[in-house]
Amino acid sequence: MATVTLKNVWKYYGETPAVKDLNITCPDGSFVSILGPSGCGKSSTMRMLAGLEHISAGDVLFDDERINDLAPKDRDVAMVFENYALYPHKSVFENMANPLRLRKMDDSTIKDRVEAAGKLLEIDHLMERRPHELSGGQKQRVAIGRAIVREPKLFLFDEPIAHLDAKLRAHMRGEIKHLQKSLGTTMIYVTHDQLEALSMADYIAVMHDGELQQWGTPSEIYNHPVNAWVAGFVGEPAMNFLTCDLQGNGDKVHLSHKNFEIPLLSEQIKRLNGARKAKQARMGVRPDALSISMTDPGEPSIKGKIFVNELLGGDMLVEVELEDARIRVKTTPEFNGKPGDSCHLTVNRDKWHVFDSGDGHAYF
Amino acid sequence: MASQDVVHYDTPLQKALRVSAALFLAAYLIWTLLPFVIMFVSSFKDLLEAFNLPDVGDWSGVGIFFEFTPTFEHYSSLFSEGNFGRYMANSLIAAGGSAIVSVVFGSLAAYSLSRVEFRGKKDLFFWIISTRMAPVVAVMVPLYSIFRTLDLVGTLPGLILAYTTFNLPFAIWILKGFFDNVPYAIEESQMVDGSTRFQAFWSIVPLVAPGIGAFVVLCILFAWNDFLFAAIIGSGGAKTLPVATRELVQPQNIQWGSIMAAGVVTTAPMMLLGLVIRKYLVTGLTMGAVKE
Amino acid sequence: MTDVTNFENKSMLSGAAQLFRARQHSVEVEARPLTDALPEPTIFNPPAPKRYYLYLMAPAIAVLAFISLYPFFWLIVMSLQSVDIGSSEWVGFRNYARLLKDPNFLSGWGLLLKYSAMCLFMQLAIGLMLAVIVNNHRYEKYLVTALLMPMMMAPAVAGLLWLFLYNGTFGWYHWILQSLGILDSASILASQSTSMYAIVLVDVWQWTPLITLIALAGLKKVPRDQLEANMVDGASPIRNFFAITLPNLYPVLLIAILLRFMDNFRFIDHILVLTGGGPGNSTKILPVYLFEVAFKFFKLGRGAAIALTLLIVTIVLGMILVRVFDKPQSERK
Repeated sequence: MATVTLKNVWKYYGETPAVKDLNITCPDGSFVSILGPSGCGKSSTMRMLAGLEHISAGDVLFDDERINDLAPKDRDVAMVFENYALYPHKSVFENMANPLRLRKMDDSTIKDRVEAAGKLLEIDHLMERRPHELSGGQKQRVAIGRAIVREPKLFLFDEPIAHLDAKLRAHMRGEIKHLQKSLGTTMIYVTHDQLEALSMADYIAVMHDGELQQWGTPSEIYNHPVNAWVAGFVGEPAMNFLTCDLQGNGDKVHLSHKNFEIPLLSEQIKRLNGARKAKQARMGVRPDALSISMTDPGEPSIKGKIFVNELLGGDMLVEVELEDARIRVKTTPEFNGKPGDSCHLTVNRDKWHVFDSGDGHAYF
Repeated sequence: MASQDVVHYDTPLQKALRVSAALFLAAYLIWTLLPFVIMFVSSFKDLLEAFNLPDVGDWSGVGIFFEFTPTFEHYSSLFSEGNFGRYMANSLIAAGGSAIVSVVFGSLAAYSLSRVEFRGKKDLFFWIISTRMAPVVAVMVPLYSIFRTLDLVGTLPGLILAYTTFNLPFAIWILKGFFDNVPYAIEESQMVDGSTRFQAFWSIVPLVAPGIGAFVVLCILFAWNDFLFAAIIGSGGAKTLPVATRELVQPQNIQWGSIMAAGVVTTAPMMLLGLVIRKYLVTGLTMGAVKE
Repeated sequence: MTDVTNFENKSMLSGAAQLFRARQHSVEVEARPLTDALPEPTIFNPPAPKRYYLYLMAPAIAVLAFISLYPFFWLIVMSLQSVDIGSSEWVGFRNYARLLKDPNFLSGWGLLLKYSAMCLFMQLAIGLMLAVIVNNHRYEKYLVTALLMPMMMAPAVAGLLWLFLYNGTFGWYHWILQSLGILDSASILASQSTSMYAIVLVDVWQWTPLITLIALAGLKKVPRDQLEANMVDGASPIRNFFAITLPNLYPVLLIAILLRFMDNFRFIDHILVLTGGGPGNSTKILPVYLFEVAFKFFKLGRGAAIALTLLIVTIVLGMILVRVFDKPQSERK
């Protein structure tokens, strides 16, 4: 159990920086997810925490102790690898016992711990098998088992469920979250799947191109993204973006577009302070913050033509064509508009966002 | 995006290991390359100077090795009286000829083995590769008889045929692997477009070109360096460089200078080849057992 | 490095190799394939009639049959005869009976085993150490190129070169050995007790690089994941080497050993040049004895008998090789 702090951490591979000036504090006992697309530096960060990469600059602290120069074996960290990294010539029992044997624990302790872990992960019937006789899901549990027998300060999970099929992934999300809560150990979980991060983590660190974009709870990240990139990355189906003009002044400002003109709420106008000079901005609104109707709703709305409907089981996703873009709306399956029909979209103005058209930072 | 090798955290023990490793490497490199240096330098030394050694135990006197006046007489005598130009040509023709024959027949066979399935195919394959592993000495006995009856002893074609004995199975073995990697769909689409089966085959040959290139180089290497076949079957009319070099060792008067020069002439081309062939060398030398 | 020859699958075990009944493992394919290529080549029945392909193969197979089968039967026939210049007479198994009583034949095998053991031991030890040192070295490419040069030399020429180097009067390596106190003034080639070392050393000089290259290829295939997992679990790099790297190397090293062992049966060029089997019989390993019987004394009949025994042993070794060669493929997870 430890608080993990990264201070001004940089990682260079030759001349290329993979991680730039990272500052994160993970509270003790929390589940922190590092989220981002491939190449954003999340794996490098994790490997630096494990000691598998040297830290180019900055400090990494476990509970106030600087661990930059410690070898992995001295850091008391347990890691679950993306491809499980099980030892093929050892049985499941020996795989899980490996860290304990390396620490020269006595046989009875090893036996107890491994069996306890096996029971917890429901693999106790597989103890004598070899890795190549196991399914993907079973291998992954063995890998997790190997990590938990040690009772380390920190867990590092590197995209552990990426190679499982969708159903098993959904199941494991709950299992892993429950596991972390019951063990109480700090966990840092790297993933590119925003759904995993949102559903499992206490805190998310969103990274892009080596830089930390936003740190916050899942709901903060989802509802108050700090820039357009984060807003577009998190959330499925993705947020809609439209380029609009800011028109009006004083306390009456509206977003103007070929297909609509919608006024801003008063607090939102206050937040816009710098932007009014820019005149152009990007509006972002999630499909579930829009509602669609075939008739004129009376308030300012977006007018467009239906392009295609997609039925997603309990929801229907409607793609609406505007002058220069297409946006998607989530609605009920009973919606009966057909492609080609004209329709109106109303925006929930508590849930829309305006981003700077230059660097993408959010005004609200 | 991780670095080349697993990361190191140096302990004093590791530092010590590192130093001794470097020493070991240096010592080995010297031991390995020294004979080449000696051969090369000695080939330019007059006979008497070649025999100059420092006193036993006098390590500082090693410089004697470099004190000499260089002479080209060994090389020139090789090519003028020694006929080495002809032997070189023989080596080249035998090596190249067998490479060509092996590639032509071998690629056809490799292609067939790759594409078709029949009972006993694996046994056939095993037999093919066993011909490559058989000790030449053993096979030489009957081969010599057969070649003598066919009047092939001492002729270049005879030697080429002899080299084909171990190059052909090698070609089949290596090229089959390359052909296996070319999906049959490519030929099918060619045939749908209107080519004959043979044209389709011809069209995928460029795709196995790296394999053919690697094989040809290795094939030349083995044939050029061979001694036994050339000595027994090529003796007389088809003498190659290794045999000719050996013959310079006459009981009464061993002409070391010429031998060193002959050694350089025989080895230098193959060393150049070695620079070229690195990539498939292991695959070739282990007959595909170890893939890089 | 692209995986160029991933052609073998489990069913490559031929009828011949199944004599050894390799254990079959149940294998599960890992969840995500690493490439989009098929894991095994598809064997199919192409629209062309089988005949077509058999015709294509025919010339090559014919040549091979002429060159291997024909001599093989000839060998059997010859071994049952006593062949002299111009004449031959049938003597049944007399050649074989004589062999069993022939001290040179028996010592030929003994010496061959002793020679192989020494060569293999040194080549493995040195080759493996070199591979570990060179792996991921800053100058790896140049080092490997320098190291492989001895393999490019004709073994016969190597023999001649070392004949020069071993010479008691003007040989540089003799001088080094003498200065180190290992030898007296007599050349290493002159005495029966040391001559074996002489030929072993030449073989080691020439072929250690092969072991190095093979070990290097194997080292690069060791899964990094497992090494790192072991590091996080608490292993030091030395521990890692013995626990993860070596077990992964065993199949590759086994192939290397078998191959070199079989090569020891074949490569006698340098022995013929350096010692000719002597002094006495101290370096007359079996293939060298065979050469002497067949091509110096021209006793082709007895030579054929010896050759047959040699061939049979080689084929048995070859079958083992094919079976071992198959295993790494199916157990690689």
